Amino acid sequence: MSLRQYEIMVILDPGVEERTVAPSLDKYLSVITKEGGTVDNIDIWGRRRLAYDINKKSEGFYAVVDFSSTPATAKELDRQLGLNEAVLRTKILRREV
Amino acid sequence: MAKPVVRKPKKKSNPLKTAKVDAVDYKDTVLLRKFISDRGKIRARRVTGVSVQEQRQIARAVKNAREMALLPYSSSAR
Repeated sequence: MSLRQYEIMVILDPGVEERTVAPSLDKYLSVITKEGGTVDNIDIWGRRRLAYDINKKSEGFYAVVDFSSTPATAKELDRQLGLNEAVLRTKILRREV
Repeated sequence: MAKPVVRKPKKKSNPLKTAKVDAVDYKDTVLLRKFISDRGKIRARRVTGVSVQEQRQIARAVKNAREMALLPYSSSAR
């Protein structure tokens, strides 16, 4: 089982409260640790203006997470975030080592 | 017979070299903004003066940044 290094950027609904972001993010990311991966770094950018409206919202709550996991776990995480109502958009990239 | 005018192409300074960037990152919007026009279009290599490989990295980074609403697809439509 080989782990790969990923970086995921998530745009959350701007309606969420600032202090609830970190706990809810941890909840979303629990799938990584559960399936044997590690969360390496969480960077919460905070509220930011979007360059264009997404789902009729002009702001978003940005967070960037570095993690290592198997490809299947990364795919599952992206799937779960995509189903989540509070997530406007996600992007997973392989981190260059 | 008129002599064809030979124009010496002016060497442009590579903006990536001057900014000391070795990997173009889609999150670095401050840098990427230098490579898009005010309408939001990606500037040609002719204009930016970077290498082919660098231009490709920049183009990919700009497109990724657009997907995440960090940069506009187009701005101020006329």
